[in-house]
Parts: sequence; C-alpha cells; structure tokens
Amino acid sequence: MAEQKVELFARRLDHGIQKAVHSNSAAGTEKRYNVLGTDYSAPDDLRRLAGQIRQHSIEYLDTYLEQAEQSLKRQGAHVHFAVTAEDACRAVSDILKKAGAKKVVKSKSMISEEIYLNDHLGTMGIESVETDLGEYIIQIDGDHPSHIVKPIIHKNRRDIAKSFEREGLGDYNDDPETITRRARVFMRDKYLQADAGITGANFVSAESGRLVLVTNEGNSRFCLAAPKIHIALVGIEKVIPSDADLAVLLNLLGRSATGQQLTVYTEFINGPARTDRPSGPQEMHVIFVDNQRSQILASDCREILRCIRCGACLNVCPVYRQASGHAYRSVYPGPLGAVLSPLLAGKKFKELADLPKASSLCGACNEVCPVDIPIPDLLLRLRNRGHQEHAPSPGTPPMGAFAKLASSPLIWRFAMKSNKVMNLVPLEKLPLPYLQPWLKTRTLPAWRGGEFRSWMKSRHKK
Amino acid sequence: MSTAREQIFSSVRAALTPLPERTPRPVFSKDVAEPKWLAAETDSLALFQKRAEATGTKCFTDMEACASWLRAQAVRVVYIPPPLTRLVALCSEFCEVTSEYSRARVNEIDAAFTPSAGAIAESGSIILSDGSTPDRLAALAPWHHIALVSRAEIHRTIADALAAMPADPNLIWVTGPSKTADVEGILIQGVHGPGAQACLIL
Repeated sequence: MAEQKVELFARRLDHGIQKAVHSNSAAGTEKRYNVLGTDYSAPDDLRRLAGQIRQHSIEYLDTYLEQAEQSLKRQGAHVHFAVTAEDACRAVSDILKKAGAKKVVKSKSMISEEIYLNDHLGTMGIESVETDLGEYIIQIDGDHPSHIVKPIIHKNRRDIAKSFEREGLGDYNDDPETITRRARVFMRDKYLQADAGITGANFVSAESGRLVLVTNEGNSRFCLAAPKIHIALVGIEKVIPSDADLAVLLNLLGRSATGQQLTVYTEFINGPARTDRPSGPQEMHVIFVDNQRSQILASDCREILRCIRCGACLNVCPVYRQASGHAYRSVYPGPLGAVLSPLLAGKKFKELADLPKASSLCGACNEVCPVDIPIPDLLLRLRNRGHQEHAPSPGTPPMGAFAKLASSPLIWRFAMKSNKVMNLVPLEKLPLPYLQPWLKTRTLPAWRGGEFRSWMKSRHKK
Repeated sequence: MSTAREQIFSSVRAALTPLPERTPRPVFSKDVAEPKWLAAETDSLALFQKRAEATGTKCFTDMEACASWLRAQAVRVVYIPPPLTRLVALCSEFCEVTSEYSRARVNEIDAAFTPSAGAIAESGSIILSDGSTPDRLAALAPWHHIALVSRAEIHRTIADALAAMPADPNLIWVTGPSKTADVEGILIQGVHGPGAQACLIL
C-alpha cells in the first residue's frame, strides 16, 4: 500500500532518535505550559492580542515595510530588496565582494537556511562559519536542522563527539560541557578574524527602525562585536508597527520557545557605529527578502506570515514527535512547516503537497501558538489546494468507485441490500488491499444496509 | 536594486488591495503582558535582585563582596574602566588590573567590569548600550562579566524599558549568563559569552 512520505520516514526512523525527539519536544511543551501558567491568568487573551498585532502588521505590510525602510536608512543602514532566494544570496555576496571580505561568521537564521546561503558563499570562495553551537554541528556534518529552535534535537552527544574529533577539535570526548568549551575556543578565533557578521532578525520595528535579535548563546552579539560589517537577512513579514508591540511579542516569544521569560540576549540594533559610539560594525546592511512571501500574502493562508518562529507547535505536535524534523523534507518542519514549506515552494507546491496531510488536525498547534495562527484551518485549505492541483496523494484510498456508487440512487439501493453477503465473508478475505491494514485492528458490526429505507417506507404507508 | 524593491512593493500591494477589510491595529495598555505576580512586588530594587538571581545573574551591592568573589574565582586579569579607583585597589590585591580593554588581550582578560545603561526589575535583565560600554567585546568575551548598575536606572517593567530606550546604535538586554541546551537538552553556561554573569549595584 502507498504510504504518506512523513509516515514512512517515521516508521524507518532510528528508535533512539525518535525517543530523543519525543522527550525533548515534550519537555519543551511542559516548560512553556508551566511558565505561562505561573505568569498569566489568561495567557490565551495575550496570544490573541499578539495574533492581532501580527495580523495587522502583515495586512498593512505595504505601509510598514516602507516605513521600516525609511527608518533604517535614516539611521545610516543600507537597505536592499531581494525577490528570490538567488537574489538574496547574490545581494549578500555582492556586499562581501565589494568590501573584499573573505571570512564571515553567521548567527542562526532560518531565512539563510531557506535560501541556502552557506552553499552559495562556499562557491564564491567565502568562508562562512555557523556560530550557534547546534548550527555549527549541523554545518560540519553537512546535515540540516530538524527543529527551528533546537537544530540538533536529532543528534546525541556521541554523534557530536565523533564530529568534533573528525574536525580536529580534540580527542573523542562526549561530555556536553567539554563539547561546549571546545566550541567556545574555536569560535573565539573565528569571530576575531571575521570580516563580516551575518544575522537574521526576529522583528523590525517600522517606527524606530530597530532590528531585534534574540539568542541564548550570545553568538549574534559576538557576530556584531568583532566584525566591521553587519548584514541582516530579513523576511519582509518580520516588520511590526512599533517598539511598544515588543512588550507583547517578546514576552511570548521566550516563554513559548524555551520556557524563559526573556531569551538571555535581546539585542536592539539601531544602525551602524557612530563616531561617538565606535564599537559596533561600521557598515550595516539590511536585505529584505520576499522569496514567495508576497504570494503567501495574496493567498488564503496569509495567517502563517504571523509566525514568530518559536517552535512551540513543533514541540506539541504528535506527528512531529514521532517523525522528527527531517521527515518534512524542507527547512521548516512541524505544523508550521506543513503550512509554510509547500507555500514557499512556489511552483513546486505539488512536491510538498503531502505535508498538510501529515496531521491529525488535533489542533494542539493552534492552542500553543503565541500568535494564535489557525494552523488546522490552513492545513485544510492546503489539502484542498493539493486536490485542485491534482497533487499525488499517497495513502488516500481511491474514492472514484465510491463516488459513483454514492451519486447513483439506484445502484446505491441495490448495493445496500446486496451487501448483506458481507456478513458471510471473513473480513481478511475482502479484496480491498488498502483497507486491510485498517481492518487488522478493527472489527465491523453486522451489515444492516437497507433496513432504514424499508422502515421509512413502511412508516409512510401507515 | 530599485527594480527588486518596486517588484516587492507592487506584489505586496496587489496582495492587499482585494482584502475587503484589514485587521485594525489593536489598542492595548502598556501593562498588558505584565506577569500576575508583579503587582505584589513594590520594591523595584528587591525585585530586580530576585529576578536576576533566578536567571543566574549574581548581584552584589558592595565592592568588597564582589572583589572577594572574583578572588575566589581565581581571576587573573581584570578590566576596570576608570574612575573606579577603590575597585582597582581591591582587585590589585589578587590579580592584574588593566584600565584599557585591548583586543589583543581578548583571551587573557578573564573578568571585566563595564558600566550599564540600567536594568529591568521584572525580568532581572541588565541593559548595556554602546554609549555606556566602551567596547562590546569587554562585556562579552571575558568569562566573568560584572555590569555596574545604578539604583536610579532600574526600570520596573519590560514595557517601561522599551518606552525609555535611548538613541544608541545598540542596546542589549542581558538576562543571565550565555547558555545553550543544544546537546541533548542539557543546560551548559558560557557558550560564547560570559559563563559567570554578575552585576554590582551602586
């Protein structure tokens, strides 16, 4: 029987990985729940408010994006726009080439994953080092993140120790503290030697032009402390009206992502270094990336653009917990990814049209979402789109014969009665292969087809 | 570049024009996201100390205690910006004191004092700015970082701090030491930044 690709991946997944992903995700869900419960009597009201702030932001994106651009320019930042992923990569490498930059340190940014920036910089002969511990391990392993906040949720300490040994960072040692110290020493030199630091942005305030970045490790701060050029890659949907909105959004982001009131380092960047404030990068570039976002804005799934990338929906999702992130075959996994990834695929939508089906529509993702995205509704809309576009749908039993049966009253009546013969046939003998796995664990009541019709008829006669 | 810009703006406008109505900007009070326990906390200084300690930031209110902590930590080279002469005298008893943060000594200087731009009581965060901190690296690279926080500059809430952000190219809220849980979800402090975060309240 044909199976959904996500299901197939989950079935073949190493048991140890599955257990690690499950327990780490469940722990994340619990931490989030505890901190919100301790701190708020009505966290859902706050989530709805945050959702409204973000929905308003994207529905007035024309206004706020322009305002953000002006505010950033006013502070001395260079503002660039990139329509496609390729344009965005080129914008980065053009800036680096112009400055003669050869070495780059990168802070974790999902949009750089989305545009495959490291591959591009590699082909241009530019060394680009991921500085987030998890992302660095992903990079040396030639792997992909399997969670948007915890990129190496699928790896254990022994895997990491082997990778560090292979990269010459010391003898095999799988103590997490030793691993972290070795990364610290290695990264120190990379930061100090780098010509440029590349980051993403969690928010951009249109009114003040402040770019907000949060990390726990402090790596984004280091990327902006030593190098002389700062390049920020920002999805156009990251714009919010003003700094005041951050009071709501930052309070929900840390709690939803990691159960923290605030992430350790919350950084507000307001332009390049000035003569009286010489410490930071002398050049600041902001690249606003569309890469299908304006098309998503035009679609009936625009609510997904509210997303603030906290990862809470991944942690809580029963499918993600079983299947892990790589099952989604795209940069964004989990419920968020099941909506966003097919949309970002643009013309290749059909290739990922199975992702919205990898859900039981239980609704947990919506319940934990800090910006209250109606993810189950969006999944249904995308399933419908997949159907309209005749996307392949493995795992869905053929419904053609049933449709014919159900739309012809005569055949239907006949089938209802004649199916009584089913009561004589053992279920495992039914010649319907796609139903067999389902029937293995179920029994059916005796067939009583047609009896209701007979009853109705005799009732009228009276 | 201008063509990409125009293309994006025209796609965005084309996406938004057909909307029958757009979500209005929500009106909310500044304190909407305050934790429910905040109202009972009347003393901002005490609240700051409590929240800072809870997130792993050590709080000192006198120089002697702070210096003896650094001594116990076996600190070798400490950066102390002028004019903190008393602190210099205290630390000189057990380690080298430098009044200049040189990037050539990034890996040698294992403790640094830097002035802050205030703090936030609600979250126990220290606020650093380029205006108050001469070199971003000084507050980040050493294992021990001690921010100098003035009592008068403690904001009660996150919203207060957001409303009072100074015009500076960079502000950073530091809520505890640098940390990661990337390896098997195990919490490790001191990934890139300070493994020991402290503040000296003056």
